[in-house]
Order: sequence, then structure tokens, then C-alpha cells
Amino acid sequence: MKEEGIELIKDGKRLDGRGFDELRPIKIEVGVLKRADGSCYFEMGDNKVIAAVYGPREMHPRHAQDAKMAVLKYRYNMAPFSVEDRKRPGPDRRSVEISKISREALEPVILKEYYPKTEIDVYVEILQSDAGTRTAGINAASVALADAGIPMRDLVSSVAVGKIDGEVVLDLNAVEDNNGEADMPIAMIVRRNVITSLQMDGRMTKDEFKKGLKLAMNACRQIYELQRTALIERYSEM
Amino acid sequence: MGRVKKMERGDKIVLPGDFLGTSEEFIPGTGVYDQGGNLYASYIGEVSIGNNRVINVIPRVETPPTIEEGDVVIGQVMDIKDNVAIVSIGCVKGKESREVAAPSQGIIHISNVRNGYVTELQQEFGYLDVVKAKVIDAKTLRLSTKAKDLGVIKAICMKCKHDLKRKGNVLTCERCKRVETRKLSEDYGKGLI
Repeated sequence: MKEEGIELIKDGKRLDGRGFDELRPIKIEVGVLKRADGSCYFEMGDNKVIAAVYGPREMHPRHAQDAKMAVLKYRYNMAPFSVEDRKRPGPDRRSVEISKISREALEPVILKEYYPKTEIDVYVEILQSDAGTRTAGINAASVALADAGIPMRDLVSSVAVGKIDGEVVLDLNAVEDNNGEADMPIAMIVRRNVITSLQMDGRMTKDEFKKGLKLAMNACRQIYELQRTALIERYSEM
Repeated sequence: MGRVKKMERGDKIVLPGDFLGTSEEFIPGTGVYDQGGNLYASYIGEVSIGNNRVINVIPRVETPPTIEEGDVVIGQVMDIKDNVAIVSIGCVKGKESREVAAPSQGIIHISNVRNGYVTELQQEFGYLDVVKAKVIDAKTLRLSTKAKDLGVIKAICMKCKHDLKRKGNVLTCERCKRVETRKLSEDYGKGLI
């Protein structure tokens, strides 16, 4: 991919001026939707994501109910205007996969057995995309679930690392993602040091992987603190 | 005294996953879960420790409403069998703002309709009646209408589907002059929950 001639790193800085271990600026707003039980607006650089949580509520169809616990449903959806070329609306192979992976990233923290025979709906809408939307979606959904008052073991934080121009860097943007060598989104329960989701696209050596994982885990800690402050800010004023 | 881990943060409010204490110190109450002998908060709220060492998180968020024994529910009669009426529960009194986090199909047994003997359930309920009932068993969702304020609060004529008006202890249809009987709530036709 280097033959395209895009130089992603100049003088030890990335194209947008960030260092290798720097996150994009993050903005979190809690409780933005009036009709949802819980919601969150999340910005990570040029990613703009909104998450809405409904339920737990009675599950339909009834044969899909779980007699012992709630069923978590997660929908990741990109708005047609979220990317440069219009995205054809509706679920496709990519968004179905991301929905599944995100659901599995959040499932371990939800105390589902408190609400048998119900479903919890999480809707994540990508309003603007600049690489790493699935991680932004997980961050938003985690805050929205807490806002909905759903009993949880902890919050989930998520970030991606990747490899560009042979360097392991944190939180790729779209240019870096398209011209880089590897991309690895992870989601974790920060205080438990538990990774709930890890994917990798591209190639990294064992050492690069280890370095990237460390980078991502530290960044998750930072994101966790931001999620925490956003929730405390929202609920301490009352 | 020698607490290994200090209660997490000095903040007034706790978030899901915040460490509250150990199971040797406290009895976990609402909003608290136990993992490996440690107690953590499960939703956003304030910590309160009762005098009997029960630790609770008093929610700052709106938590999902559940149906408890003694709750008054509003529902619609979906089916009437020989001995039971099946009620689809729409909301719980006092928790109307959010959908109930439980299955919605409740049951009124013929023995729980009113004080006194009921010969025929058809005489007490009609299809699509709106009823107010009390939960007597939250697990199996068994309901009772054995009180003055409980029973049918809105009904339609079996023949012409017109709204029924209360006339003394019976209901009459203004359109076809049909007379029907019900286990009436004292709030019938008032639109009060």
C-alpha cells in the first residue's frame, strides 16, 4: 500500500498532528434522547455517534425469549450520509458483523438474569464516520446502558490501534485506516482488566501486537475516565 | 478496621462497578452485586448503609420497573376461559413512565374475582374490558379484583362494540339497549387509574 505514496507520518507526528499514542478529542453527552430509556451522544474526532437504549421490555416473538435472562439486541447502523460516498441504507454484511461483535462486547457486563423473558434494545446510529465507529458505538452504548439504569457489572470502553508506515499508533482516522497496514479494535472492562472484544485486520508481528494492546488498554483507561465524568456530571446536578 | 480496599472514590454518587465493600462487612441490598466476596454497585446512585448492615444503592437513574406483589396494574382482558380470565398488562400504577421489564400476561382466577361465589366468569368480565387489578403473586402474575376500587373500569357492548354506561350495578349500551353485568370498579367510566 505504500506505493500509493501517502506519507502518514511526518517528523514523528501523524497527519493530523497527533503523537503515536494520542487519542482524538472525545465529547460525551448523556441523556440526549427524551423518548429513549437511556441515551448517549459520543464524538471521537470526526466520528459522531448516538446510542439509544430501550427496555428491558417484554420480548416478542415469545419463542425467542430466554426463560432465565434478558436478551440483548444491538443494532449498529450507518446513516447514508455518514461517509463520503453515500452508504446504501439498511443492514449489510459489515454492519451485521459489527452489531454482533458489539453486542458480545457489552453482554458480559449486563446483569441479564435480573430480567428474565425480556429484551434490551440498543440502537447505535453512526451520524458521521471517520474510522473506528464500532469502538465509538460501544463507548456510547455502554454509557447509554448506564443512563437507562440497567444493572451492570461495570462500564465497557473501546478503542482501536493500528499500524501505519511501520509504526504502531493509537486510534486511527479514516486516512490512516485506508492507507495503513493493520487495524485492531478492542473493547475492555477497564477495572477488571478483561478484554471483551478484539479483532484484527491486517498484519502485525507478535511484538507489534503486544505493543498495540498495551497502547489500547491505556487508552481505554482514559476513555473510561471520560465516560465516568460524563455520567457523574449528568447525575450529580440533580 | 483493616479494610484492604477503600470504598471507591470520595464522590457522592457511585457508578456501575464501583467497589462498595466486602460481603463480610455488608449484606448486599438493591443495586449491589457480589462478585467473589466483593460488593459492587450495579447502577448509578448514592450509597446508603442501613443499621442492619444492609448496603443499598439508591438509584439516581430511573431503573427498569418490575411488577411486585401488591402492585395495582391496568390491563385488558384478552381471553376468558371457564375458570380464568387472561389479562394483558399495560402498565403498573405508579410506574407508568416506562415499560415494565417483565412478561405482560396476567391471570385472574375465578376465585379471585370478587368476595362471594362466582357462578360464571362471563358474568364478570368481557372481551377487551379494561381492568384494574392487584398483583397477588408476582412470579406467576396472578391478579385479584377483590376490592371496591378493583375490577372493570371500561367495557364495550358485546353486540355492537359501543361504550357501556354504568347504571347502578349493571352496564347498559346506549345504542342497542343491551344490559351487561361486570365486576365493576368504583372508578368505572371515570378515566381514573
